[in-house]
Amino acid sequence: MAFSRAASVVAFAALLAVPVVFDMFTAYQLGLYLIFGMVGQGIALCWGRAGFLPLGQALFFGMGAYIAGAALKSADGNLVLLAPLLVLAIIVPALLAALVGLLVFNRQIGSGPYFSLITLALAMLGFQLANSADTITGGFNGMTGIPGLPGFDSYGNLYFVVVGVLAIVSLGLFWLLKTPFGVLLSATAQNEERLQFFGFSTSALKAAAFGISAGLAGLAGALYAPHQGIVTPQSVGFLLSAEFVIWTAVGGRASIAGPVIGAVVIGFLASELRDTFRYWEAVIGLIFIVTVLKFPQGLIGLAELLKRRLSKADGNTARIRDINAPAREAGGAPALAFEDVRVTMGPVRILDGLDFRINRPGIHAIIGPNGAGKTSAFNAMTGRLPLTSGGISWRSRSLADLKPFQVARTDISRKFQIPSVFPELSVDENLDIALWANRTGVSDLFSMRPLRWRSDLYDTLTERFPFLKDGGGGIAGSLSLGQRQMLDFSMTYLTEARLVLLDEPCAGLSASETGAMIDAIAAINSDLGSTAIIIEHDMRVVERLSDHVFVMHQGRLLAEGDIAAVRANPDVKAVYSGGTK
Amino acid sequence: MDLILTNGMNLVYAVATLALIALGLAVVFGLLGVMNMAHGEFVMLGAFSVYVTQQAGLPMLAAIPLAIAVCAIVGYLVEWSIVRHLYSRPFDTLLATWGLSILMRKLVEAGFGRDYKSIDQVLPGTVDVFGIAYPSYRLLLLAVIAIFFGLLFAWYRRSNTGARIKAMVSNPQLAAAVGIDTARLARMTFVFGVCTAGLAGVALAPLVRVEPYMGIDYLLSSFFILVVGGLGSLEGLLIGSSVIGGTDTVISTLFAKTSGYMAVLLISILFLWLRPDGLFSRR
Repeated sequence: MAFSRAASVVAFAALLAVPVVFDMFTAYQLGLYLIFGMVGQGIALCWGRAGFLPLGQALFFGMGAYIAGAALKSADGNLVLLAPLLVLAIIVPALLAALVGLLVFNRQIGSGPYFSLITLALAMLGFQLANSADTITGGFNGMTGIPGLPGFDSYGNLYFVVVGVLAIVSLGLFWLLKTPFGVLLSATAQNEERLQFFGFSTSALKAAAFGISAGLAGLAGALYAPHQGIVTPQSVGFLLSAEFVIWTAVGGRASIAGPVIGAVVIGFLASELRDTFRYWEAVIGLIFIVTVLKFPQGLIGLAELLKRRLSKADGNTARIRDINAPAREAGGAPALAFEDVRVTMGPVRILDGLDFRINRPGIHAIIGPNGAGKTSAFNAMTGRLPLTSGGISWRSRSLADLKPFQVARTDISRKFQIPSVFPELSVDENLDIALWANRTGVSDLFSMRPLRWRSDLYDTLTERFPFLKDGGGGIAGSLSLGQRQMLDFSMTYLTEARLVLLDEPCAGLSASETGAMIDAIAAINSDLGSTAIIIEHDMRVVERLSDHVFVMHQGRLLAEGDIAAVRANPDVKAVYSGGTK
Repeated sequence: MDLILTNGMNLVYAVATLALIALGLAVVFGLLGVMNMAHGEFVMLGAFSVYVTQQAGLPMLAAIPLAIAVCAIVGYLVEWSIVRHLYSRPFDTLLATWGLSILMRKLVEAGFGRDYKSIDQVLPGTVDVFGIAYPSYRLLLLAVIAIFFGLLFAWYRRSNTGARIKAMVSNPQLAAAVGIDTARLARMTFVFGVCTAGLAGVALAPLVRVEPYMGIDYLLSSFFILVVGGLGSLEGLLIGSSVIGGTDTVISTLFAKTSGYMAVLLISILFLWLRPDGLFSRR
């Protein structure tokens, strides 16, 4: 940490010294590459953090450049007029991208290659528009005669403006990635679905990241226009978009400095080699392929590998948590109702008139043979499985047609059968996300305070499962299967949701771990007074935890009652001992 | 009447050539799941084969074996070195082949220069069709495309290899377990796909601009066709080509060439956004 901070200071000092040490022309060239690098920083935010790749980033760059060019030409040195117009060069691309992102991500989950194609097509469209709207953009020949920023010389001190903006942008990104928003972006890339079950709208998160990246591209474009004095449709098109992606990949898509380093290194190499070595650009293509396949973290990744060889890893201790997380309001009494729920897929009836009610806190168990529809009942409840008919309501609010994150916001928390955590985040960050669920507003996402949140339940859980605290700095992906189950379970309860859905929480646990898990479920659920529904095959677990058992068979409720009543039920006996009905 | 007929012929021509261009991507992306961003560059290789044969003073037919040879070798090498490690990871194939497309463009640019290549007309002159004069080469091309698709359709439905490919697509593990050499079959399918792209390039070379950067337009229109039509079937390919080609031709005729292009982009963006599985999908 201290190392990279020192390195950044040295790097910026070196950037400031370039015009003195070399000459103004070198600084001018470097300035252009730094501008391009800023666009790459935005791409890295989307690609390296949030996990989706925008392929048409030049659209926003060119848009900013055209707006800034028009502003500089029309303002004619009047700063009062110029400043707000230049702000538009950032805002307009950012809003457009955020809108596109919201529309697309609302319908598609994951890294979505189709999103990349959409951005590519948008850049092609932008190129056509810039080419044909010659009254505004100057058409094919471009917008020419753009004056410099008032008081700055394009071949002289404008360079220092570029370096200054780059410093501010880099610091801003550094801060952004530390905030809860930054953590949630990484979480989106690693396990988008799980994040939705904590009540976060991942489409909004991704759209925000895309908007920020487009704003950065617009800002870079606004510097490009006075720097070059001309903006042509090429600045919007697909070839420049492709180069942005190459620079970002080669420099390092997951870092802040990487894209800038990539743009500068490749930029200077290109200007040296372009005229003497005709296969130079083919070499760049080759370097890109090798980077993508073998070194996804780019040059920065290689540097960090070296650094790790040289220095020992820092400790795994949990961080200080000294602020009480906002208390969750108790909400009303539990009232869950399945009313004649049917889900059919083609000829298969997954749920076939499932009908039951839960009206009191405590642990309720669902049992039944494989294929009975137990997990499907959870899926139907949490927005993963659309209902064919019937209705599901929770505290008199219908859950049908809600998306998973909206279901989570109605105070429902769900644990999947296979432990589902954020593998490349630290254990601490995993717990953070659960603590933030339904407790954070937009302003909290951009504050450092939620990183210090604690709750009484956090203390209880870390006492029960000490590895959550002692190994808090280690990444969740390196935990054993049992520990991941416990982490996932802890996260599910840390939300303090009133309704908790547990799908085979003891699957894959050893006998002693199962014991610890059962104790934890029983103790914590009664402490919180929550309502839990647990799917379980192991009757010993059911017996220990639950006095209210639902038996499902072939998508329907077969029996309901305490465990003795259920055992005595002839229908249940018939199903479990293989008899005929 | 003549005007309608001419425009109708143009429409049929546009749809047929689009289907031919998209066929290679339909095979590589639709069957193998490889988002081949270098698809357009294989079309470009085919077009450059025509340029090379004409420069050597050979007839255009000689470009066909040349294009097949070049595309097969390049395709084989690409599959062996890059693609086979990335099956079932579409996002990674997109990235790697995106790099490949840059590599191929730049290599051709370094070898042949950036400028437009002039290709000599083949079969100049026109033929009377229902009373209108239609360029003979286009007419021949239409006939060849129709026959080619007919044969391909019949072969894919009836042949053993077609059945093996279908088995591999629907369940690669099971296909391997019953004795199908899926690695080899996938490689052959990939090579076949890029070779048809090359052949499309040969067929179109006399009619379009030929330069190292020509591929991107064909790449996008091919993806758009597949997105509109849906993956995995010949019917979808034809429907997608009809929608994309029809929109382009109609809007271009009514307004201007760029409006047609922009309309296609808009339709495709809408499909990518709202119905990424297409109009006609088996999934």
